[in-house]
Amino acid sequence: MGANSLIDALVVNPAVIMTVGAVLCIFVPSALRRVFMLAFVAASAFQLYKLGLGEFGAVTLFGETLTTVRVDRLARLFGIVFHIAAALNIIYAWHEKDRAQSFATIAYPAAALGGVLAGDMITLFVWWELAAITSVFFVWAPGTRSTYLAGMRYLAIQVLSGVLLLGGVVLVFRDTGSFAFGEIGLRDPSGAIKISGLVLFLAFGIKCAFPLLHNWVQDAYPKSTLSGTIVLSIFTTKLAVYSLARAFPGTHELIYIGAVMTLFPIFFALIENDLRKVLCYSINNQVGFMVVGIGVGTAAAMNGAVGYAFSNIIFESLLFMSLSAAMYRTGSSKATDLGGLYKSMPLTMTFCMIAALSIAAFPFFAGFVTKGLIIDGVAGEHMFWIWLVMLFASAGVLEHAGIKIPYFTFFAHDSGKRVKEAPPMMLAAMSVAAVLCIGIGVWPEPLYALLPYQDQIAGYEPYTPWHIIEQLQLLLFAILAFALLIAWKWYPAEVPSVNLDTDWFYRIPGRNLLAWIAGATRALWNVMWSVIFRRVEVIIGRIYLVHGPEGQLARSWPIGFMALWTAIVLGAVLIITFIA
Amino acid sequence: MSDPHSSHGKDGASNEKGWADRPGFIRAVFVLLFTACALAAGAGMVSAWHNPHPHFEVEGFPVFFAFYGFLAFMFIVLAGQHLRKLVGRKEDYYDGRE
Repeated sequence: MGANSLIDALVVNPAVIMTVGAVLCIFVPSALRRVFMLAFVAASAFQLYKLGLGEFGAVTLFGETLTTVRVDRLARLFGIVFHIAAALNIIYAWHEKDRAQSFATIAYPAAALGGVLAGDMITLFVWWELAAITSVFFVWAPGTRSTYLAGMRYLAIQVLSGVLLLGGVVLVFRDTGSFAFGEIGLRDPSGAIKISGLVLFLAFGIKCAFPLLHNWVQDAYPKSTLSGTIVLSIFTTKLAVYSLARAFPGTHELIYIGAVMTLFPIFFALIENDLRKVLCYSINNQVGFMVVGIGVGTAAAMNGAVGYAFSNIIFESLLFMSLSAAMYRTGSSKATDLGGLYKSMPLTMTFCMIAALSIAAFPFFAGFVTKGLIIDGVAGEHMFWIWLVMLFASAGVLEHAGIKIPYFTFFAHDSGKRVKEAPPMMLAAMSVAAVLCIGIGVWPEPLYALLPYQDQIAGYEPYTPWHIIEQLQLLLFAILAFALLIAWKWYPAEVPSVNLDTDWFYRIPGRNLLAWIAGATRALWNVMWSVIFRRVEVIIGRIYLVHGPEGQLARSWPIGFMALWTAIVLGAVLIITFIA
Repeated sequence: MSDPHSSHGKDGASNEKGWADRPGFIRAVFVLLFTACALAAGAGMVSAWHNPHPHFEVEGFPVFFAFYGFLAFMFIVLAGQHLRKLVGRKEDYYDGRE
């Protein structure tokens, strides 16, 4: 590897610019740190813009050429929204003085950016692991035992995903002789599952939070700090969505996996009292829509999946931001502790409502113009049951993200808490996100112009009468159902509780099993040691008997006895000499 | 901003009614909601506004989406709450166990 080509590859990479900013910001005085961070995000964005579409930063490693930066339409879309999100996160947490969190606030987005810009899988692996390591700072940030344990679990799962990715890369290289990160697919031409594809699929699936592999999200994210949760909610899962879109478009298994992902979190979110956890289930559900789109794999569905990822990053983080602002003022994110905050935090409430309308995909909001593409994509392939699941899940999104979050935070029963409105910089970040939510909804063309399949999107019109009427019927009658449930007092009351999910398996029985194995190993060791020790003891005892102070060999011999023996030996020598 | 939680207002202020708690507002919301539902359902009857290239037969049914949205929401809330019996635990469940 030439040193010059490596330096060139590093200099050209926007993600490296951001990473350098992350390291340097630790040494900047806290008063200037956020401005400094924004400057580096802006520099990285400018570099991405200046590069344009193409491949850059070629490096030769082990005789293979790696493309460390590849900007195509798919990568650029994620690159742009990652920059927007990183900038909003910096502004939102303007008050945050903690160096470790400040570092992670751009080092982690930088790693995710590096991942989406990676043109080969070695580069992808490096950024993939960096994303895991930099993000765990957020989980550890509160510094309690429970966050320490959650951080370790989070790190173990993320690193497992990285190890699988590395294994997958090696297996793919064995199959194809290339490190290029392109379409890989789960099956070979004969239809059999490829091991290399399966290992990569699992690596992406863990980060994407596939069903049963999903619970690290709910376990780790809500334990982070207020701003940390927002940053976490954005990048890891979307990097995984990008990777699936890159490597597994049209993989039909994803349709069913995604459909399950949209469904089960709805029910967990319904009964969850911690509203930050509700939003974590919402991440699973939202990523499910994207995964279905990637699984369908047509131009419409792929445009929908990645377009939805773009707009979801904005409205999902706006939901997290408004909830975190309420938590910043009240000290709680539990539905049972909140309520009635609309009186004292009207601006935050308004932003939350805009995010809720966006995620529920009301016309003229960001969700509508992109989610419709996925659902149309499913309908276009005549997948009736999946289409019904998508509509059902849309009602579910309305329930937990569109209604439950704003309703229990700002309305519902009055918690009696009278707090200040959110701090100005939080409001500033939220207002930018809210403007984007409405802006994309009202004027989707700029986002459409960024989508990967331009031929498809050119003929797409989101605001047809039937799109609007169908969506409004679905949402309004679902809201009617909610209103009736509240009026009839059939809506379940929130109760302080913790709900078991798949993390229970490794936190309780898994942990107990591990403790049992450790105990059993210790006991076995003790038994073996005592057996060996007893043997050794017996042997030492025997040696002692002979050689010890009382032993035969330690006896003192009288001189006469020695003289007699000397005479016997000399006599023997004489006789032998005489005979010889 | 030194202590974000110390900003509680005067005592007794917590019982005042806000605009969203007034019966008039709640009634207005219900009236608006019923009207909007009626309009959406009515708009579904206009065949000129139907999808000219429907993918499924049910799309032709004028209030399919209204019906489906209502039932889906009801099902999620009424059936979903029973999940709590299966997985719900006390808040300190994990505290002593790990």
